[in-house]
Amino acid sequence: MSRSDVLVDADWVDAHKNDPGVVVVEVDEDTAAYDAGHIAGAIKLDWKKDLQDPVRRDFVDRAGFEALLSERGISNDDTVILYGGNNNWFAAYAYWYFRLYGHQNVKLLDGGRKKWELDSRELVKDVPDRPRTSYHATDQDIAIRAFRDEVVAAIGKLNLVDVRSPDEFAGRLLAPAHLPQEQAQRGGHIPTAKNVPWSKAANDDGTFKSDDELRTLYGDQAGLDFGRDTIAYCRIGERSAHTWFVLHELLDQPNVKNYDGSWTEYGSLVGVPIELGDGQ
Amino acid sequence: MTSDGCGAPAGGAALPADAGNQAVVQGQVTRDGTAVRTGYARLLNDGGEFVAEVPLGADGGFRFFAAPGTWTVRVLAPGGVSVDRSVTADFGQVSDVAVAV
Repeated sequence: MSRSDVLVDADWVDAHKNDPGVVVVEVDEDTAAYDAGHIAGAIKLDWKKDLQDPVRRDFVDRAGFEALLSERGISNDDTVILYGGNNNWFAAYAYWYFRLYGHQNVKLLDGGRKKWELDSRELVKDVPDRPRTSYHATDQDIAIRAFRDEVVAAIGKLNLVDVRSPDEFAGRLLAPAHLPQEQAQRGGHIPTAKNVPWSKAANDDGTFKSDDELRTLYGDQAGLDFGRDTIAYCRIGERSAHTWFVLHELLDQPNVKNYDGSWTEYGSLVGVPIELGDGQ
Repeated sequence: MTSDGCGAPAGGAALPADAGNQAVVQGQVTRDGTAVRTGYARLLNDGGEFVAEVPLGADGGFRFFAAPGTWTVRVLAPGGVSVDRSVTADFGQVSDVAVAV
């Protein structure tokens, strides 16, 4: 996998967004951003309403994912270009999710919605009408999804990467600072986890840093052993999907899992070890 | 209310009714006295590390929920604009930052 297999830039999107077989998809936490203006021809996915089970804490199941993509007019053969706000945080999550259900051709718009806006590129309000398809998903590829028991078993053995901000890692903040700080669970991090905030992988304009910069960041600076398997986590598994994308798709690390239960699950488990304070 | 998402709504999340125990950093971005609608506000900690980011609201506004201490608000806007403002926050306080770009 190389960068060009998984990333496209804005010029590429401008040139190809109307090609048959290309579907541009905006993924945001709420639809307000899409509704106020989006890349021409783009459809929307709501990470919560569309991708989360409405009752249990889990993803929509395979049949649900098939129904969703069929309804939105996405085919198995389509090249799906994902973009979103927050430095592609939610788009990277959707990317991981599409991979989880076996979609082959999926890429991120480097820089996402932010760079597109900061470059003053065109946004429109027209909502495209895509004909229904008959989408077939695979079973979840759990080689890229970690669950709590394997996370506990990984302490001191595998690379654990906590991608939250240093203040959340240390236990001083319980949520990202754009949200009110109220949580029931304990603060801190999983013992032996390295803190590499997801945002360090991105430039200010939301684009990904170069492969060399990323290798230095995770390897030389954070001390990740690239010869070991890795589990990334954050608070609810979205920011860590961004890091999963960096490690698995850009740096080509073979065994990287995203722990989507993340701190909201781990920090509420009874009896598991927790470490406080800043990283080394 | 926070466990169901990590989303950053434009302008930042609304002030909860019980904001009395929050360390709020908020403000408005203007250009020549007019609200800047297209842009982003980032919160950096006292080590310069990124902590959070929100798109500006329709009134150019942003809001963060921080912890006691010194923070930097960095505003990004089209045209390569990047402006930093230092701000201190404490529990029970709303720290307002006006940013002209």
